[in-house]
Amino acid sequence: MRISFWGVRGSYPVPGPNTIRYGGHTSCIEARCDGGGCLIVDAGTGLRGLGHKLAEAQGNRPCHYHIVLSHVHWDHIQGLPFFEPAYLEGTRISIYALRTAADELQNVIGGITRHEFFPVNLEAVPADFEFNEVVPGQKVQAGDFTLMPIALNHPFGAVGYRVFADGGSFAYVSDTAPFTDMLHKQHFLAGPESPSDDDMSQLRAMEADLKASLKGTDTVIYDTHFLPEEYQAFPHYGHSTPDHALGICQGLGVRRLALFHHAPGHTDAIMDKIGATYAERGSRVGIDVVVAQEGMTLSIGGEGTA
Amino acid sequence: MKVRFWGTRGAFATPGSEFLRYGGNTSAVEVTSASGARLLLDLGTGATEFAKNLMGAEYGSGGGTLPVLLTHTHIDHIQGLPFFTPFFIKGNKIRILGGQLSHAPLEQVLQTQLNPHYSPLYGLENLAAGVSVETIGPATSLPVEGFEVAADLMPHGGIDTLSYRISADGETIVFMTDIEHPEDGPFPAAVKLAANADLLIHDGMFSDVEYDARKGWGHSSVSQALACAEAAGARSLALFHHSPDAPDAEIDEIVDELRARASIPVFAAAEGPAFPVSPRRASTAPGR
Repeated sequence: MRISFWGVRGSYPVPGPNTIRYGGHTSCIEARCDGGGCLIVDAGTGLRGLGHKLAEAQGNRPCHYHIVLSHVHWDHIQGLPFFEPAYLEGTRISIYALRTAADELQNVIGGITRHEFFPVNLEAVPADFEFNEVVPGQKVQAGDFTLMPIALNHPFGAVGYRVFADGGSFAYVSDTAPFTDMLHKQHFLAGPESPSDDDMSQLRAMEADLKASLKGTDTVIYDTHFLPEEYQAFPHYGHSTPDHALGICQGLGVRRLALFHHAPGHTDAIMDKIGATYAERGSRVGIDVVVAQEGMTLSIGGEGTA
Repeated sequence: MKVRFWGTRGAFATPGSEFLRYGGNTSAVEVTSASGARLLLDLGTGATEFAKNLMGAEYGSGGGTLPVLLTHTHIDHIQGLPFFTPFFIKGNKIRILGGQLSHAPLEQVLQTQLNPHYSPLYGLENLAAGVSVETIGPATSLPVEGFEVAADLMPHGGIDTLSYRISADGETIVFMTDIEHPEDGPFPAAVKLAANADLLIHDGMFSDVEYDARKGWGHSSVSQALACAEAAGARSLALFHHSPDAPDAEIDEIVDELRARASIPVFAAAEGPAFPVSPRRASTAPGR
């Protein structure tokens, strides 16, 4: 299995001279198994470029695409209406996502194509869409890939995934805060709220589940939006630091950690520094730390018994 | 008056080295008058950079007031809203003016953009600044301090968008994006709104060849943009809302070709410093 990064940025796309090397597009990853099967992880603005590539490869032959979503904040779904294969008759698109409220997934995800926001409504798109709800802890098959959804700590809820194929696996853990502040509650957070005892036991259980789910995986892609000093200022935003990510991955037999969901203000120069700092810290605990970069492809090995 | 393009791209932001000169951010244009009045046109991703610039001024301490004029709410024109930092500073007063272009009132559309599924902000009421959303329609005079502003509706595929005519310091600019003219010539209300403008900023998403395959999408060809500008007697034309598939070199070619047959100065809008509206200088505006 191999994974390629099409979007690595958090919050919103950032064009300009400061993001040329690491990339300015928001979350989107392409996973390929050895047999050629494809899984798309998150549908941020990076999906547009991936869609062009897939459409070119397929020509006029419609195909079945599997898109798995961490959550539906704009930066993780904004590429969907611009996914070129969706405009070819006969295309099938299966979407896997967490339902965070009573609303049907189709209404929530289709909501971004209402004519106030986009000229072509989801119902008018030629592709056939199928929406699948995922439940943390319950395995689901998406084409050639087996997914294990993992509950994360993010406003209104999000899920990570361990993805198995070809006898190997990687994990996608974005977006999440560390498990010390309660963030997945379903109300607006104007600032940090002190967690109750119940909250704390729930957070500890989430953290334990996440660690158990990551055990022995080859590569973990982790939300490391913030540097520690930035996190101190915005602990209620629902994102982690590379230190949090290393803390989670340590001792689990994880070979590689890919820093991901870079803050919009983190220029290429800042990302270089972050990369150097955390490569060194990772080496102390036996984890190969890399900075996710648009265009980067990683080979995935590791344990993969789903 | 001065104009500063913070975002010039249409449909989709385009990070990458081949988009650096004209810029990859979506629609956002700052207009300032000699007396210091300021307004913002659209809240695309370009507004996030504009916001950083404002935070150094009175907006950082909650003393800022800003009118924002929206052409419409397709996401490339409002996606900077949740990241426009002056919204998070108590004391700032920000007016968002725009049309009701569907069954949903403007405020409801912006609330949907920020609802908890899509955004951790949950809703406009959680922005610390004073934010008012004002629904406007065609008007000969809108109450925007420091400027004379008129607005009218233009056809954009299945919906209407608002274009704006803005005057101050004895000069006039017209912001006209996401418009598709009829096949038989420029849309009459567009020609009227842009009459004798010193600068017409106009949708130029498609080259003439591309446009032939995209009729009905709600955008103009560059020839339509020029025809509108010339029919209106505009003194200069800035092509705007560049296609996300048009890298810098392609925009250069389109502009060169159009200049060869234009009776007025033509340039492609480019992210960069503010420049004066007066047509004499506009011909050397940034970009090329």
